[in-house]
Amino acid sequence: MKRASLVLFIGLASLGLSACGSETQEPVEQIVVREPGAEAPVAESQPVAQSGDLVAAGKAAFAVCSACHSVEAGAQSGIGPNLNGVVGRAAGSLEGFGYSGAMSEANLTWDAGELDAFLTNPTAKIPGTTMIAGSVNDADKRAAIIAYLSSLSQ
Amino acid sequence: MSEGADTKPQRSKSAKWTRRGFIGAGALAGGALIVGVAVRSGNPVGKLKAIVAGGDGEALVNSWVKIGADNLITAIVPHCEMGQGANSTIAQMLADEMDVNWDNVRVMDAPADGNYVSQHAARLFVGPGTLPDKPNAVSFMEPTYDGLFTQVAKLAGAYITGGSSSVRSTGQNGMRIAGAAAREMLVAAAAEEWGVPAAEITTQNAMLSHAGTGKSEPYSAMAAAAATQELPRAPKIKDVSEFKLMGTAAPRKDIPLKVDGTAMFGIDGGPEGNDLRYAAIKACPVVGSQVASIDPSTAKTMGGVLQILNMGDFVAVVADSYWQAQQALNTIETTYTETQIDDLDSAQMFANFSSALDEAGDTGGNSKAEYGDATGTFADAATKLEAEYQVPYLAHMTMEPMNCTAWVRDGKCDIWTGTQVPLMSRDGAAEGAGIDADDVTMHSVFLGGGFGRRLTPEYTNQAARLAKATGYPIKMIWSREEDTAQGFYRPADISRFTGGLDANGKVISWNNVHCTEDEPPEAPLIEFYDIANVSVRNAEVEQPLRLGAWRSVAHSQHGFFVESFIDELAHKAGKDPFEFRRSLLAKSPRHLKVLEGAAKMANWGSALPEGHGRGIAIVRSFNSIVAEVAEVDMTGDKPRVTKVFCCVDAGFAMNPDGLKAQMESGIIYGLTAAMYDEITIKNGAVEQSNFHDYKMMRMDDAPQIAVQIINGAPNNLGGAGEPGLPPAAPALANAIFAATGQRIRSLPIAKHFS
Repeated sequence: MKRASLVLFIGLASLGLSACGSETQEPVEQIVVREPGAEAPVAESQPVAQSGDLVAAGKAAFAVCSACHSVEAGAQSGIGPNLNGVVGRAAGSLEGFGYSGAMSEANLTWDAGELDAFLTNPTAKIPGTTMIAGSVNDADKRAAIIAYLSSLSQ
Repeated sequence: MSEGADTKPQRSKSAKWTRRGFIGAGALAGGALIVGVAVRSGNPVGKLKAIVAGGDGEALVNSWVKIGADNLITAIVPHCEMGQGANSTIAQMLADEMDVNWDNVRVMDAPADGNYVSQHAARLFVGPGTLPDKPNAVSFMEPTYDGLFTQVAKLAGAYITGGSSSVRSTGQNGMRIAGAAAREMLVAAAAEEWGVPAAEITTQNAMLSHAGTGKSEPYSAMAAAAATQELPRAPKIKDVSEFKLMGTAAPRKDIPLKVDGTAMFGIDGGPEGNDLRYAAIKACPVVGSQVASIDPSTAKTMGGVLQILNMGDFVAVVADSYWQAQQALNTIETTYTETQIDDLDSAQMFANFSSALDEAGDTGGNSKAEYGDATGTFADAATKLEAEYQVPYLAHMTMEPMNCTAWVRDGKCDIWTGTQVPLMSRDGAAEGAGIDADDVTMHSVFLGGGFGRRLTPEYTNQAARLAKATGYPIKMIWSREEDTAQGFYRPADISRFTGGLDANGKVISWNNVHCTEDEPPEAPLIEFYDIANVSVRNAEVEQPLRLGAWRSVAHSQHGFFVESFIDELAHKAGKDPFEFRRSLLAKSPRHLKVLEGAAKMANWGSALPEGHGRGIAIVRSFNSIVAEVAEVDMTGDKPRVTKVFCCVDAGFAMNPDGLKAQMESGIIYGLTAAMYDEITIKNGAVEQSNFHDYKMMRMDDAPQIAVQIINGAPNNLGGAGEPGLPPAAPALANAIFAATGQRIRSLPIAKHFS
């Protein structure tokens, strides 16, 4: 049989640490970013505009958003819709995504201005939206996120 | 903290009583009596020997009873509470044998002051100084980590909460004896004190009374004296007719804590103070692969992040909060080393099963049961039937994902985690922390679901390694995605049958070959059916995946296989599936009663609306017999189970409400898997990730369930946690056939209706 040599059956009798697939107990690589209570790294607190690469900063800032939003073209939507190509797209228009009634009827097209207003306070911009998380207070960060989203729309 | 020298007498006393026999007792500070029972199959003490369950090697059952100065009786039991309620039922058994009223009973580490997590009280219970190196012992397992219990438990692989064993094994063979022994010792102490014959002393509601002299004292008053009494070698346990608490629906002791939110689950555990840090992890998606490289550039810039670790077999981010750790982890791009199974997929696994079965043929493979002449009688059968069934890999999906809090410092390690195998988890932590197992303290917590998933120590090992590497107390929580992708899955399987009927439609030949190892070994066997010629075999297939025990273990597969094929034979014979099974169970009276019980509950044979169907199945597992009738509505776009009628004979229902709850839970869990779920493999990795692609049965899909209990063998108890599950899938598939004529031979059912 093709896989006769692959004996890795882990039954109840042999449940054990072999499941870890590793002989190594110590870390292979340990990056200490900071100590507890210490200031966050400079890179994070720097104003976005000075970072030199707005899109990269936006991508980093978008990490929080990625819990709900996918961005790869054609990727399945998560809790929120896939945002690939969102800039220039009509609100509530991604095929197959279950938008709130409010979003479906928003009747606007996402551009930098609309996105900025929405990200500032989603429920104020579109009352009834189910995007209850995601307001971004920092204007520079909003700009970076929008730059990042725009880069995905090209 | 006292020095080791002070505690040696305590330890040797413990070892002494365990050496001397099977029931041990001692007095604690404050005059409390403790009684424990250890049962070892190799030991020749009349009554105790007889009650040990069969099997190779040593079996250990032990239990502890404490009588406090306040006359509260505490039962400490070596099982984990994962929702099944068994610990409460075990305490009920103890209390009944002791003649203690339920209000006076506490379970596990419940102290007199009602502060159930009080470490102070737990220390008192364990005994001052008995655990000098574990001053924070709050675990009910703690007493077992020292002395003989540890040794024997390790040898026996004990301390597993699984196999539906808590009540029928620990309760029946441990707690009841400990309770009866404690009662006899209290009576003996009172007889001595009062100068009256022991036979004249009565016990009730934790009180000792002597009618002749009018004397009456609470148990607590005699506890210290009782501890000095000779240990009864064969305490008399009650006959069913004498039961007061056993067989009643005494309210579970853990439910109030779960209702008011004070119950501590693994995910709630951890040290006091603000030093706790959080870890999110992602292990290599393919078994056997290693992390080749990580790109932490974005993660390093994210809020709250403290450390990023490549542990070889997994990547972790440690941060100030779990959310921050998980978000940063999500940004790390990781590459993995190649493995030999990088191109493995589910189709390949099922092809492997098929070719192994082809190779085994009608007579090959490992024999599981062989009587009569299955192949010869099949050749001569008037009517022949062949069928092949298939079931997928399944995940456990406990509500509480895998998690562990570990704190490694000063050569010691504290662990808070929900586990069905505390000793194995302790060893996993010790290995991760690089210390001796004796230096690990396991803290007792509730499990937010087990189902067999928490039988592995790898998550404890991971947390200990992270705690050691970072120096922080670490709360490691797996995301739902990690939990889904890194399970120890119920094995997939293919099972093939041939069956032969004689001219009267009676089954004369049964031949089955399947692939997975059978745990427990009786899972594919059908000796209760009156079939003269039977061959049951398995063919071995290597499966390079993480496989484990899933609620009801191999019964989850064979229940579906066997009861589907019996149903097909019934229809082939032109007989009613219930009547067909009845005739096959003529020589198995307990099975027959259960089957007839379920049919009667369901009003079997009565008319159903158009498009509805009724299916029946009966499975014996973990020494309990369960029959279920499912009703299905096929008028919609997918099957909808409307009702399940369940009749169970578990020997004797120690707590009927608990047994009923376990049947209901097993049915829902079984229907969930049967209807919706499969774990599939692509490129060596699990494809599913969360509840959107691994569905749970929800309220609007759940059937009405009725449960009826038969107490068919009060001295031969069966389990409860698992036996409700196996009949659910075949009852549903058989109901679908009855409604539509469509035979479901592979699970999940939803795939046939998408």
